[in-house]
Amino acid sequence: MANKTSTHAHPKHLYHHFIDSEQQFSAAKMGMWIFLGTEILMFGGLFAAYIIYRAWYPELFTMASHELNTIWGAVNTVVLIGSSLTVAMAIKSAQLNQKRNIAINLGITIALACVFMVIKYFEYTHKFHLGIYPGEFYTFDGIEHPKANIFFSLYYLMTGLHGIHVTIGIGLMSWLLWRSLKGDYDSEYYTPVEITGLYWHLVDIIWIFLFPLFYLID
Amino acid sequence: MSGHEHHISSDKLLLGVGGALLLLTIVTVGVHYLALPSPWSIIVAMIVAVFKGTLVALFFMNLYWDEKFNLMILISAFVFLALLVLLTLIDTLFREIPVPSF
Repeated sequence: MANKTSTHAHPKHLYHHFIDSEQQFSAAKMGMWIFLGTEILMFGGLFAAYIIYRAWYPELFTMASHELNTIWGAVNTVVLIGSSLTVAMAIKSAQLNQKRNIAINLGITIALACVFMVIKYFEYTHKFHLGIYPGEFYTFDGIEHPKANIFFSLYYLMTGLHGIHVTIGIGLMSWLLWRSLKGDYDSEYYTPVEITGLYWHLVDIIWIFLFPLFYLID
Repeated sequence: MSGHEHHISSDKLLLGVGGALLLLTIVTVGVHYLALPSPWSIIVAMIVAVFKGTLVALFFMNLYWDEKFNLMILISAFVFLALLVLLTLIDTLFREIPVPSF
């Protein structure tokens, strides 16, 4: 800011080891995609466990799934889809230099993410009251299957790891919101919004698969 | 590095994709209540989920307009996941005593 003449040749956000903003943007995005690849493989281990146990105990998954509320699962799916839409809107707003709309869309995204976690909280506490805990802490006797705890171990691990990702996402979005309110993002520089958006969409995609795998078994 | 222009999605496109995802969610829940016979329920649910995931990846994550390298990273992650699942299933599906004691 102090040295106006040099800002055009060398923007404030550009690190010296990049040729230009475009190269820095592509590199950041590629780095995020590689991270998302590792995320897919981390969740993938749990999906593999799910597939193996479902192949072993198909009847258990049908019985235990009835303890999950399809409607709340569907509501949470819609909530996350809505939040993905608002993140995409925030990025579009940055590209069009509509600085106020970046903050508004990020604010809605944070609110929707919180709604998701609140619904998840009520789902979890409802199960805790019934004695549906993971693994050896399982005390519920409403499911006539000796391995009923396995379904809920997978449920808590997979939705729990996903919930941790949503919580981290809320933190990242709050940081983006604060910086967008300071006016840090515009069409020239919005890399953090773009790559946090990629992360958020992946969290959405993982839920798109968790929802039918746990809530839609009949 | 194809120039300086980033793809900017129109409101129409973003809302269209969001609407399609909402519609597909309603479809998959509706199909669930139809209670299709055994294998079809999961097949339909997974086809819808893959379709929804593809919509998000292509149009919200911009892979449709992006450098193809990023798409390759995503696809290779799924290839390695498929390897993990298939190689494990070769063991777990064909055991003498199929279900373990744990």
